[in-house]
Parts: sequence; structure tokens; C-alpha cells
Amino acid sequence: MEPASLTIEQLSQLVVSNAPPSQLFEALSRYELQACIISTGVGSHNTSSSDSTLLSLFYSSFFLVHLLTDQVSEARALTKRIPEALLQQDPSLQNCLTLLRAVWQTEHGQVYQVLRGLPWPEVLQPLVQRYESFFQDKTLIAVSRSYEAIRLATAATYLGLNEELAKQEDSNIISNFTKCGWTWDLESKLLHPKPIVVSPAEPQSSNGIRKAMAMLGTRAA
Amino acid sequence: MTLLSDIISASAHLHNSNHLPSDEYDRRIRELVEYFRRLQSTKALDSFASDGTFLSNFDPVIDSIPYLFVLRVQIQKAQEINTNVLPADLRPSGKLWTCAAHFLTNFDGVQVRYAGREWRLLVELVGQASQAASMASRLFFQSYSGSIANLTLLQPLLGAKLVRDAMLRLDPSCAVFTSSHLLLVRLCLQAKAYSCALPVLDKQIFHFPISQGRAFSGPSALCADHASSVSFMTEASGVSSKLSYRDYLQYFLYGGMVYMALKEWRNALHFLGIVISAPSTNPVSLIMVEAYKKWVLVGLLEKGKLCSPPSITTPHVVKVYQSLARPYIILAHAFEHGDLKRLDAEIDAGKGVWCADNNFGLVSQVVGAFFSQTVIKLGKTFAALTVADLSKQVFPSPVCADVTRSAVSSLIISRALNATLVQTKDHAESSMLRFSSIHSLPRLSYESDLQSQLKQEMRIMEALVINLGETNNNLGLSDEYVDSLHKGQVWSGSNEVNPIVGGEAGLEMDEDLMGDMS
Repeated sequence: MEPASLTIEQLSQLVVSNAPPSQLFEALSRYELQACIISTGVGSHNTSSSDSTLLSLFYSSFFLVHLLTDQVSEARALTKRIPEALLQQDPSLQNCLTLLRAVWQTEHGQVYQVLRGLPWPEVLQPLVQRYESFFQDKTLIAVSRSYEAIRLATAATYLGLNEELAKQEDSNIISNFTKCGWTWDLESKLLHPKPIVVSPAEPQSSNGIRKAMAMLGTRAA
Repeated sequence: MTLLSDIISASAHLHNSNHLPSDEYDRRIRELVEYFRRLQSTKALDSFASDGTFLSNFDPVIDSIPYLFVLRVQIQKAQEINTNVLPADLRPSGKLWTCAAHFLTNFDGVQVRYAGREWRLLVELVGQASQAASMASRLFFQSYSGSIANLTLLQPLLGAKLVRDAMLRLDPSCAVFTSSHLLLVRLCLQAKAYSCALPVLDKQIFHFPISQGRAFSGPSALCADHASSVSFMTEASGVSSKLSYRDYLQYFLYGGMVYMALKEWRNALHFLGIVISAPSTNPVSLIMVEAYKKWVLVGLLEKGKLCSPPSITTPHVVKVYQSLARPYIILAHAFEHGDLKRLDAEIDAGKGVWCADNNFGLVSQVVGAFFSQTVIKLGKTFAALTVADLSKQVFPSPVCADVTRSAVSSLIISRALNATLVQTKDHAESSMLRFSSIHSLPRLSYESDLQSQLKQEMRIMEALVINLGETNNNLGLSDEYVDSLHKGQVWSGSNEVNPIVGGEAGLEMDEDLMGDMS
């Protein structure tokens, strides 16, 4: 099915929709062709300011959805496809570049600073917030598997929580972790993470291995 | 009755026919295609060649054949008038481009099996048009502003997405290697739209289009449900242009490059392995040498060592690689010896080589991988190390403890390193890196991952089994064939010519060939 025309209204509806990231990615991928055609005017100075706004919104949303679907390398490739003039001048796309650098270099503190501190257009706020929670969840899972014992302040930095409060052993900060099954050792002042297990997306077939072996047996016979 | 109403009525005959028995549906589509081929050869369709509204009478979803043939005639007319293979109307956002894009995203995959050649010509034109537009923009911007705008990347993207969607529409399994495969990866590399190629690249290729006259198993009607697409993606169908050895090598090299761009090193290594182990009796192809150079670097990135070429690679080819890729082998040895200073020196010394081979980006990443691979190797010796000690082991000159800790935690978090960190209460005290962790993930998680992998492998195996059956059949190795061959031998006696093999040379098989298996 061909997508409706690429407009700011259409994009805004998509961005505020609570559609799963993979669906958002598919929808925006289909719009990239239209964005390409609109952007062919960029180099020849035929693009109006409304086109630039539309392109900025499209590419920024598409970029954030790349991150939301955990496609960091492809997000980097996307920044190479955005018209150079637009990329250099547009503040929202500049924010995307700063964010990409922080994610690429796994600078967790910097990622939260960019997401919370930089001025993002109002329309993009839902995506920015979704990515922040996604990044927090992903980091929480990774830290739970990577540390056997971790200082509260370090854990707080990973999750973008208030570091000063963490240093004061704030109970609210501690409860962020203990509610995930982590234990707080008052004596050593250390958190002991409980590895978070993510169940696979697809339900597992209990007879999968038997079927595979049967198939091999058939061929071998 | 006008020709237009004739065409509409002929096409309407096919509407809602897909519920018919496949033989009947097959007959109707063949008749329709023949009808259009006749109209084309008698130039009857030329009256619609410049009619911009004609195609609006048809919906490519149900009228794929008329749409394709008339569009083809309109394109040919535009090419003749403009004396240009790629007239403006066929360039992105041109009138004919829009029609081609509409067709390629909506056509009926079954109907188009009968007009494979016309479909392929359209796909190739779309690919060429988007590449040509990119070249034109490049020249324009070079002369206009002295800089190359990113616009040159956008046009191949237009073609890449259309080509990919059209390929998947015609054959969702993409199991048969065609010239469109190569076109797609080339466009994706030019557009820097790497993941755009993945829906095709990630699929296993099992066949080349089989030549005319070869029998295949399954139903004979093209429109029927076939277990494998090799049944209808034949040489005679015209869905692929003539393929050469070079096309095959290029596809896997370019595919490897797509995976490299996405840092999927394992897949990249698999694709490059196919190129470097391709059979070769003549002098080794330059494409294979290029692939070997990348193979060495990707091997360092994925496995931290100089990987031997796949065992099926002929020894004389390996010798050629080793002599032509000498700087890469020296670099790999420096990496393996864990000597950072020597590695840096080799990288500096070979800078001209890396740049000339367009491998400088990969070489730069090798330096980054040196740290992770050295830490992984330390894990084979030590059960645990403090981060301060680790820093001394890895870096020749002192490095700030925070830098090492941050680098190590990044490695663990990204799951490049299977270890855990243990911090202490005291900030001044160095964290401990544990390689053999008591904090391993619950068994259930490990088993779930394993089961998920097994399921994926099983899907691949199922596809492999189905396609292997087809291949056996095409090569005359099916059980039925062998049985009938055996009967033929019994009946015909030793002095008579075998009725199935006939007098054809090259089919004599030494039966002792499998003697060692008994």
C-alpha cells in the first residue's frame, strides 16, 4: 500500500501515535522516497522554508526511530543521506548528531543530557521521551548483567538519575533499583544487581528440537 | 470495438481467475501474454505509446500484464523521441518513473512470472535511471558550487527501494540468484542505505536460474504454488540477465561490504568467505584478492586473529592471496602478537596501501578492536584482574584508570566481553574485572537464547532441505532418477546404450567413488 503524502500533519500523527517502534520504522521508511524527491530541490535553492521544516521533522523523527529500534549503525548511515545543507543548518538535526555521537561512544550521562537539555521541537517530544525510556530500560538490563556490585552513584549515572541524591543515598534512588530485585547492602554501600532476563519475543516451540532431529533423520535415511 | 476496449476485455478475462485450477489459470495468463506479444510485434500498441492517460485504465494489482507491456512501449517511445536511453520522464519524479514505481510496488507476483523478461528490463531501467540521476547531480554540483551534495546519495536510494520491493514481490524467498541481486546491493552501497539490502541479503541463495530443458519437480504450471522458486525463476523466464562468474563474486563482495558497514562482522566474514573460496583454475580474480584483504581485517575485528581461508579454497589460490595481500598479513601478525606499538607502526607504514585499497576505515577499526581482543585474551589466562592491573597489561604507557574502567564497562555492556565488574565502596580502590563469573545469567535465560537460535537454524535447515531436493532433481540425483537409471541398466544390458543417459558424454560415474563409505 502506498503511503499518504508526506505532510507535517501526517508526521505529527505518526509521532504521537503509540505504535510499536517497528511499525513506526516501517511507516517512516516508506516516506523516505517522498522526502528524497522533496529534497532534490534543496541543492537547487528551490526548497521553500516549509519544505525544510517538513524535511527536518521527517529526518529527525526517522533518526530517533532508528535509535528506538536499536539500529545505531543504520542511524549513522541515515545522517549521511540527509542533505548536507539541511544537516548543517537545522538545530533539530544538529541535536540528532550530538545524540548519535553520545550513543556511539556509549557516554550514558551525555545521552541523557542531550535528550533532556537540548531544545527539541515540540512535535518531536513524544519520540524523545520514548527513546529516553527505551535507553534507560536497555541500560538497566545491561548493567544488571555486567556488574556484580556497583556503587549507587555509578548506577544512577547509567540511568540518568540524580547523582548528587545518589551520593546522599537517597531512598527514592535506591528504590529504583531494589524494586527490580537488586539488593542494597547498607554496610558496604553497594548495590548487588539481579540479572534481568528478557524473554524471547517469540513463543518457543517445545518440540522444535525433535522436529529438527526428525528432519535430519529423514534426509540421512 | 476499439483496441482499448479489446485490451480491457482481454485483461478482465483474468480478473478473479486465480481461484481456477492452476492449469486453467496458467492457460489464460499465457494467452494474455501471447496476445500482448503479438500486439507488440505488430506495433499495434504504438498508438498508446504517447497516451499519458492510457495506463490509468489499468490497476497493476490485477492488470499486471497489460500495464507492464504498455508501460514498456511508452518507455521505448520516450527513448526513441529523446534519443536517450534514460529520458527525463524516466528519471525520478518523471511521469514514466512514477508509473514504473507504481507498477513495481503493486504488481501481481504470479502474473509477472509469465513476463519475466519485461519485468527485469523495467527493474534494470529503474536502477539505471536512479544511478544516472545521481551522476547528473554530481556533475551539476561539481560545476555549480564545487561541492558534491548529498543529493547524489538520494537518487540511488529511490531505485534501491523499488528494486528490493519488486524482487521480494516476485519471489519472497529470493532463493534464486539473479542479476537484480547485484543491482540491488550496488544501489544500496551507492545510497549508503545499508539496511535496505538486508531483506534480500539475509535470505539464503540456493540456486542459479536453471537452463531450458532441465526438468524440475512439482507442478508444471508457473502460477501454481511451488515449494521452491527455482521452478519458475528459470533462464527461459528472463527474470535474470545472463550471469557471469564476476557477477557472482561481486554480489558476495558487495554484500560483505553492506554487512561491514552495519558492523555485522560474522555475516561479512561469511560473505567474504564465499568469494575467496570460489573455485578458480585460471589466474585469481582481482575481486577475490580484494575480498581476501577485507577478510583479513574483518577476521581481526570478529575473531581477533588471522583467519585461514575456508578449507575448500585451493592451495594455489591461498598462495596468491598471501603474496598479493602481504601488508595485510603483516598487520594481522602484529595484531596477533599483542604488540600495540608494532601495530601502530605497521598501520602508519601501510597507510598508502590501506587508502589505495579503500580499506582505511576498516584498518582504523582494527586499532579499536585491539583493546577488546587483548582483554578477551587476558580472560584465558586470568580468572580476575583489577582494572589498574588490566590497564598495565594492555596499554604500553600509563592511562587514567577511569578511561580503562569506562572502556571495559562499555565492552561488557555491549556484550563484546563475557565478564562482570565488581566495584568497591572506596572510590580510590580499583574495580575488579571477573572473567569467570559466579554471577552468570540464570540457566533459563541461557536456554531460551539457545532455543531461539535453534529455532532460527531450523528455519534455515527447512529451506535448505526443500531446495536441496530441487537441486538434486535438477542435477539428476533424485531417488526417482537413480531408480530409473538402475532399471535402465538392468534392462539394456552391458553393450547397449543407456536409455536415460543416452550417448551423452561426461555422465559416466565411477561407482567406486563412494567405496570408502561402505
